Amino acid sequence: MNDANTAAVDCEAIRAILDQRKDQMQLALKVCAHCSLCAESCFLFQVHDGDPRYMPSHKFINSLGKLYRRKGRVSREELEEIKEIVWRRCVLCTRCYCPLGVDIPEMIALTRSICRSQNVFFQYEDLPQV
Amino acid sequence: MYAIVRGPLVWIAILVFILGTAFQVYRFYALTRRKAALALAPVSPPPPGPAPAEPVPVVEEVPLSLVQRLRLSILGTSPVTIAVTSVFHVCLVLLPLFVLGHNVLMDMAWEISLVSLPEALADALTVVVMAGGAFFLGRRLFYPRVRAITSAYDYVVLALATTPFVTGFLAFHHLFDYDTVIFLHMLSGELMLMAIPFTKLVHMPFFIINRFVLVHENSFGRGGHRVWR
Repeated sequence: MNDANTAAVDCEAIRAILDQRKDQMQLALKVCAHCSLCAESCFLFQVHDGDPRYMPSHKFINSLGKLYRRKGRVSREELEEIKEIVWRRCVLCTRCYCPLGVDIPEMIALTRSICRSQNVFFQYEDLPQV
Repeated sequence: MYAIVRGPLVWIAILVFILGTAFQVYRFYALTRRKAALALAPVSPPPPGPAPAEPVPVVEEVPLSLVQRLRLSILGTSPVTIAVTSVFHVCLVLLPLFVLGHNVLMDMAWEISLVSLPEALADALTVVVMAGGAFFLGRRLFYPRVRAITSAYDYVVLALATTPFVTGFLAFHHLFDYDTVIFLHMLSGELMLMAIPFTKLVHMPFFIINRFVLVHENSFGRGGHRVWR
């Protein structure tokens, strides 16, 4: 049970997208052994001095994993946090490597689709101006 | 309770493990399809024209040596973890099959048995599994990157996987009350078997499926032959 303010989110639309890929994605989430061996395969993890938030498994657990755990019932603020994860902490270079064969880019790409369905997406204007 | 754990629950656990794993594998095949061969249109030869004045330089690809490739792999980035996890998983899967006590029970039930390891060796390998479990527990507790993705569920699964070995060790050495320890040994082993198809331990069959059957950039063997529907 969560008390997220979901008024500004079409949770049913999110749920519909989640359900389309449910079997494959929930299997992938289940197969992940939380071993952290994917960490070094992410160049963003390396350039951020080993910050665990840039670890590929940390990204999908806290984005797609969260959406499945909540059955799509997330608030707009939580979607904004997920946006940060799947756009700012991942560039979808598809170089991440899972020893158990979990297809991590597929999970991040699906999460981006879900965010877009709620009009949440990365804009260059969001970047700090220099 | 003791009679249930010693009798019917053994068969239930084996059945749940086999049928549950078969179901997961069946579901995987239902969700995937054989990859169709690429149908490429024949390439027509370029129209004849004047030969280029200078030949286009060709950059030769220099293959990496085996040492360089290993250094770039997870064996190079996490050598200790890979060494520990390899030994741990091999012992975890194979050791229970070749323990003398288990083979005696199999012989009594089915009149078949596998080769048994010398008891001292089986005991030493049990210590190896327990040491591996302690290593993984330490990573979860103290290594920031692992702790960041660890929940109570991860500790439960680690306990499920290692408790049969801890209790087996205690039972073999007759430490603590034998009847209680052997009861816990049987119960924990049965719970672990039943948990494999339905918890994170499902990575046992899916390690093979994901790496050998799915078409994947990192597939082993012939590169896999199935893709998601």
